Amino acid sequence: MELKTFPAHVDSLDPLRQYVKEISQQAGLDKKATYNLILAIDEIATNIILYGYQNAGLEGIIDVKTEVADNQLKVIFEDDAAPFDPTTRELPDQEDFDLPLDERPIGGLGIYLTINGVSEFKYEYSNNRNRNIFIVDIKSP
Amino acid sequence: MDFTITSEVVDKVAKLTLSGELDSLSARVFQKEIEKVALESPTELVLDMENLAFMSSAGLRVLIFSKQKIGVGLTIYVVKPQESIVDTLEKTGLHHSVNIVDQYPA
Repeated sequence: MELKTFPAHVDSLDPLRQYVKEISQQAGLDKKATYNLILAIDEIATNIILYGYQNAGLEGIIDVKTEVADNQLKVIFEDDAAPFDPTTRELPDQEDFDLPLDERPIGGLGIYLTINGVSEFKYEYSNNRNRNIFIVDIKSP
Repeated sequence: MDFTITSEVVDKVAKLTLSGELDSLSARVFQKEIEKVALESPTELVLDMENLAFMSSAGLRVLIFSKQKIGVGLTIYVVKPQESIVDTLEKTGLHHSVNIVDQYPA
């Protein structure tokens, strides 16, 4: 498992996306799967940085662990902010999506895109750390 | 990739050209630009996305904000978005509220 650490700041989003893009390409993900994973990790990283750390007045880091095994790419984010399980958030549904733009609720889009962008998304809290786990199946070419 | 945005308002048509990557950091710049053009009460908002390589939900929120800030009478055009961005707009139902076009004016 490889580990890279990023400061929990919005300036880290761009290098974080670049890093996950390289890992995805090495793992053999196609263009669409790569984009969707990058979108997913960007959404969760944004939540950790803005709501986990910044709003709480904390400085911190996100540890990014990656691993390829059994035809799956696994990306794990670990952070030390307060426990927050994004999967418990209420997701927008079809009824919300059919509303005109000016009546649309503004929240929940990011986690919706995250869950839709990967094969599996999991959350755990262990050893006082949030663990957000993204798993993408690697399709043979 | 750096995000850049330019804008002009001519005859109530606000045209914004976005390039690079639109995340929660650059969405702040996008939102400021929307606030700026909103002062001229445009009826059409034309967003050239041909060179926009990435858009997160922060970008979607600015689209929703645009409609809420400028008013329901605003028509939004998204010009030449890349396939992945069209995919995001469709997944979230925003393609019902914006017009995805190959060029503007048609």
